[in-house]
Amino acid sequence: MKAIWFHLMPYPELPDGFEQDHRSVWVDIDPKLFDPKVGHRAYNDYIDELEHAARVGFDAVGVNEHHANGYGLMPSPNIIASTLARTCPEAVLVIMGNSVALYNPPLRVAEELAMLDCITGGRVVAGFPVGSPMDTIYAYGQNPATLRERYEEAVDLILKAWTTDEVFSYAGTYNKLRYVNCWPRPVQQPRPPVWIPGGGSVDTWAWSAEHDYVYLYLSYFGYKAGLRTMQGYWNAVRELGKEPNPYRAGFAQFFGVAESEKEAYELYREPAEYFFNRCLHVYSGYADPPGYKTLNTVRAGVEGMVERAAREATARADASRKSGRGASGPAGGEPGLTFEEMIEKGYIIIGSPDQVAERTVELARSLNVGHLMALCHFGNMPKDVVMHNTELMATKVLPQVRHLFDDEWEDHWWPTPMAADERASSGVG
Amino acid sequence: MMTSASVTVRNVAFRGGTIEVHEVGAGPTVGYLHGFIGNPGAGSPVLAPLAGAGDGHRVIAPSLPGFDRSSLCEDLRSMFDWVVAVSEIIDVCGLAGAPMVASSIGAMLALEVAAVRPEAFSHLVLIAPLGLWDSDVPVADPFGTTLSSQRALLTNDPAVTAPFFDDDPAMAGDMLIEHGVTRYTARTASASLVWPLPEFGLSTRIHRVRCPVTLVWGAVDKLNPPSYIACYADVLADVRATHVIDGAGHLAEWDAPAEVAAIATVALD
Repeated sequence: MKAIWFHLMPYPELPDGFEQDHRSVWVDIDPKLFDPKVGHRAYNDYIDELEHAARVGFDAVGVNEHHANGYGLMPSPNIIASTLARTCPEAVLVIMGNSVALYNPPLRVAEELAMLDCITGGRVVAGFPVGSPMDTIYAYGQNPATLRERYEEAVDLILKAWTTDEVFSYAGTYNKLRYVNCWPRPVQQPRPPVWIPGGGSVDTWAWSAEHDYVYLYLSYFGYKAGLRTMQGYWNAVRELGKEPNPYRAGFAQFFGVAESEKEAYELYREPAEYFFNRCLHVYSGYADPPGYKTLNTVRAGVEGMVERAAREATARADASRKSGRGASGPAGGEPGLTFEEMIEKGYIIIGSPDQVAERTVELARSLNVGHLMALCHFGNMPKDVVMHNTELMATKVLPQVRHLFDDEWEDHWWPTPMAADERASSGVG
Repeated sequence: MMTSASVTVRNVAFRGGTIEVHEVGAGPTVGYLHGFIGNPGAGSPVLAPLAGAGDGHRVIAPSLPGFDRSSLCEDLRSMFDWVVAVSEIIDVCGLAGAPMVASSIGAMLALEVAAVRPEAFSHLVLIAPLGLWDSDVPVADPFGTTLSSQRALLTNDPAVTAPFFDDDPAMAGDMLIEHGVTRYTARTASASLVWPLPEFGLSTRIHRVRCPVTLVWGAVDKLNPPSYIACYADVLADVRATHVIDGAGHLAEWDAPAEVAAIATVALD
């Protein structure tokens, strides 16, 4: 199994009482809450953490894209990836990903990822999310009725731009280009691996499987809650007659590793509560714009990941109003949900290295996922704790789980970089 | 063909699918072009009073693609696409050249059609049209909000829109799901017409609307405030009258159907 150290890059200083005083962490979060000096420190700390993860032995580092978001400070994942391209000379860069429907023309994404693939010598994974409603529909003003069609066309254009060996014209519904000529070209041939991060759309399961893209469920609610979604994906794979190779899939999971379970409880309680209460305080009016879901998803009654986050935030706010107390007191997550219950439900896997390894095996086997997106930073976790967590995960947990699936399956969706002796020196580290 | 009260519902062929058309009354033809919620259930409550007002009217009310039981048209992506489609719909429904009572997004579409096809309507009675934008008084966002808040934005009395927003407890499971899907497709079509905000350049075309116009507004329109009356009155060539109805919200014909019908009758007869 492959382990990707994945960063959301939350704003670390959302104020106490944020849930009571502000409607949403996303879309209309108060611009006055952003202190650029805090941003300066956060970005540099977060890049340090990603670099540390690559140094201590993670297979890859991962970045993503969010807009107007208090828990995701990466409007451009490619900017962060470009800093890591040189400072993480061996790790794969999982860019998870560019919301390609937002760019006009999406050819820009093809070009930037080709640049990164050249700089890294072929260490890029290209993630193409449809994008959350908050990012695409509200922050970037896309029409929900046409977003998916625009997205699928953008993916098609990017892949053609990478794989067509001559200049061509593209007469799409949304993109009219007389001359398509992606210059530079990606190192990986015919193209970098394509991974599709999803949040629960049933049509994305079949679409990913049909095109042999990796389906990656970026859940905030852990492996137990993710079972239904992943079963839906594997059913789609089976129905298409494809092999259930676990490397077709990935899953995001929060981890908190410590020398002992007791230490883990001490270290990770506050950052977990910060994340699940403040960072997921999403106004439910932004969760379900009509047209964003496919009709199959509506009929299936599948709730998207951010939709669930928003629903739970509303429940917390309602409970807070009724009880007259703040929502981020000792109880976190759903109303009445304690940190201990959060762990029991599998939102976060914490404990000693052996305990975490045992749960990780359970995760990988039950969901059948070969790509683990490990979130070893969450909420307002201090940098030294992040480094500690990351190092324990890399040195004491991953050695116990890496062997999973190796005897049975080959990862066809991992980058194939240039040989080490062909690659330029980064001049760093 | 089926009927509910005196309203007849039929399907009319349109672009390989059908559109649902409500019809009621006898007399001179008057069209009704719905707003955000279409013609759910037995149709807009303004249909019957409009048919019965004055010497009587034959009211024809098409449901736009995606609304009610009208087929989805996935090739409607831009305002240009919608204008062409609505122009076709008034032809297939026999509404070309007739007077039109149009509400909200329907009024926006009527204005857009009249701007490119000035003979399309003999008179427009417009209920809180969208399409112009005043930066000092932005039109509220009906879709960046919860379903219950959206409902509260549309009418002064949320109970009047129950046929659209509420599920019938007598419905069986599958019917309930399909009712939810119908509501979802109607909301999708509505959203696509106002996304990200309802300003698509009407201000550069509205001078071409030559037919007489009567403007009607709910006094408590929380979506598209009555201050917009002046915006439309200033740029339309032939505004015959403006009316503000006390106690009515954005979809004034749902809050105050009799009052809207009476205003329309005076304007059209």
